[in-house]
Amino acid sequence: MARVLVADDSETILLLLRTRLEMAGHEVQTATDGQEVIDTLHRGAAQAPDLLLLDAMMPRKSGIDALRELRAEGVDTPALIVSAHQDAAAADAPTDLEISGYVTKPIDFERLLASIVELTS
Amino acid sequence: MAVIGVARFIQERQSFESSIERSYQAEMAARVRLAEGRRPTAARAIIAAQQTQRNQLQDNISTETRNTALLVAAGIIAGLTGALLLFSGLIASMRRPLEELVDAAGRLAGGDRSARVEIGGLSETATLGTAFNEMADELEREASQRDQLDRMKDEFVLTASHELRSPLTSVQGFAELLMLEREKLTAAQYDTVEIILDNSRHLVRLLNDLLDLARSDAGRLTIHPVPTEIGSLVEDVVRSIRAQTEAASQALELEIQPGLPQIAVEPDRIRQVLVNLLTNAHEYCPQGASIRVTAVHSGDQVELAVSDDGPGIPVEQLSHIFDRFTRGDAGLTQRVGGTGLGLAISKSLVELHGGTLSADSSPGQGSTFRVRLPAGGDR
Repeated sequence: MARVLVADDSETILLLLRTRLEMAGHEVQTATDGQEVIDTLHRGAAQAPDLLLLDAMMPRKSGIDALRELRAEGVDTPALIVSAHQDAAAADAPTDLEISGYVTKPIDFERLLASIVELTS
Repeated sequence: MAVIGVARFIQERQSFESSIERSYQAEMAARVRLAEGRRPTAARAIIAAQQTQRNQLQDNISTETRNTALLVAAGIIAGLTGALLLFSGLIASMRRPLEELVDAAGRLAGGDRSARVEIGGLSETATLGTAFNEMADELEREASQRDQLDRMKDEFVLTASHELRSPLTSVQGFAELLMLEREKLTAAQYDTVEIILDNSRHLVRLLNDLLDLARSDAGRLTIHPVPTEIGSLVEDVVRSIRAQTEAASQALELEIQPGLPQIAVEPDRIRQVLVNLLTNAHEYCPQGASIRVTAVHSGDQVELAVSDDGPGIPVEQLSHIFDRFTRGDAGLTQRVGGTGLGLAISKSLVELHGGTLSADSSPGQGSTFRVRLPAGGDR
């Protein structure tokens, strides 16, 4: 069981991700943009997530931008980037940005759940 | 000048002829007198004088003839030279603009839309040049509009397929959620959810295909080849489709030549091609048909072939089989779930790998699709 911080600008997708992850026994925190992700992580280590699941494209601050700032601060929490298609996200993400993997839409939940277990165990 | 010379020459010739005639008459009269014995000495003198005069006249007229001939020749040469100069001037003033036109037309035909000519020279070539430039302007305008439309189309498809993914993720994701609790569903509800799932998967396939095509058109379809055990890749694909062929009582044979070399391909893309070919064979063949997959190494190529003993492809369809939105016989496609884009994309993908995709078929005898991939280098 892991604590996962999920960020997506669509409430529907957030509900879907929360439901599926909670069904698999994970604890889920949510954010609707990159700034919320950063704010959540700044709130303290007690609630610190084991994994970030960030949508690549969000208004205000994208998952990629948020991750870049967090990595600059020394946050090394593993991160999965959710994107419409992998090469679109990969094109935006600098190669030196530490990303554990990409999740493409529509989401293959079996693979996603397997990745979460693998990255947090 | 020559004309005047010739006229004078004719005039002088006439006076020469009458002088000669007069001279002969005088000589004849003297000879008559000589024959009659009247004043023979004077007659002889007249004869001699007339002969001398005639020689003189002859000499004069010869000189005159030569001069006139020279004059005429000079006139002709001068005329020809003048005409030639005039002509070469004309040709020169036309040649450069024409050469420029030919050059510009060549560049325009070669795709250089900025090809124009300088307007100048004779009014005819200037008109031609202006017409050419106007035509080139029009072509450039149309081409840039077409480019812009193409770019907009590509952008649109990319954006649309991107934007449609989020709602589709929800549709498919929540339908899957329902399926996770299938024991709570009635049979009718279960069937309904299955229809939702089938259709959302079909939409995803269509979106993926459209995205691949748009990328291919925009020159953005790229592959990342890695050394790959092609034999096990083929085995994987065959294994993944076996449930479907068994459900249709179709025989699925696999024959992989031992010791196939590793080849540089992007595994997901080659898998995509093979899944497409195998799905086609499965969907277009009737119950109980045989499908055969082979992988062999020949020369510097690895050939993957998918053949079936199904209905085959009519000759008139075979040449269009790799075109977009081309699908087999309508009677069959009712139950075929493809997008009509699979083969077009497969062909692009195989060609991106430096290989070829070809189809052989005779109606009633089945079809064979061959993927040939270069095997050189990455052994």
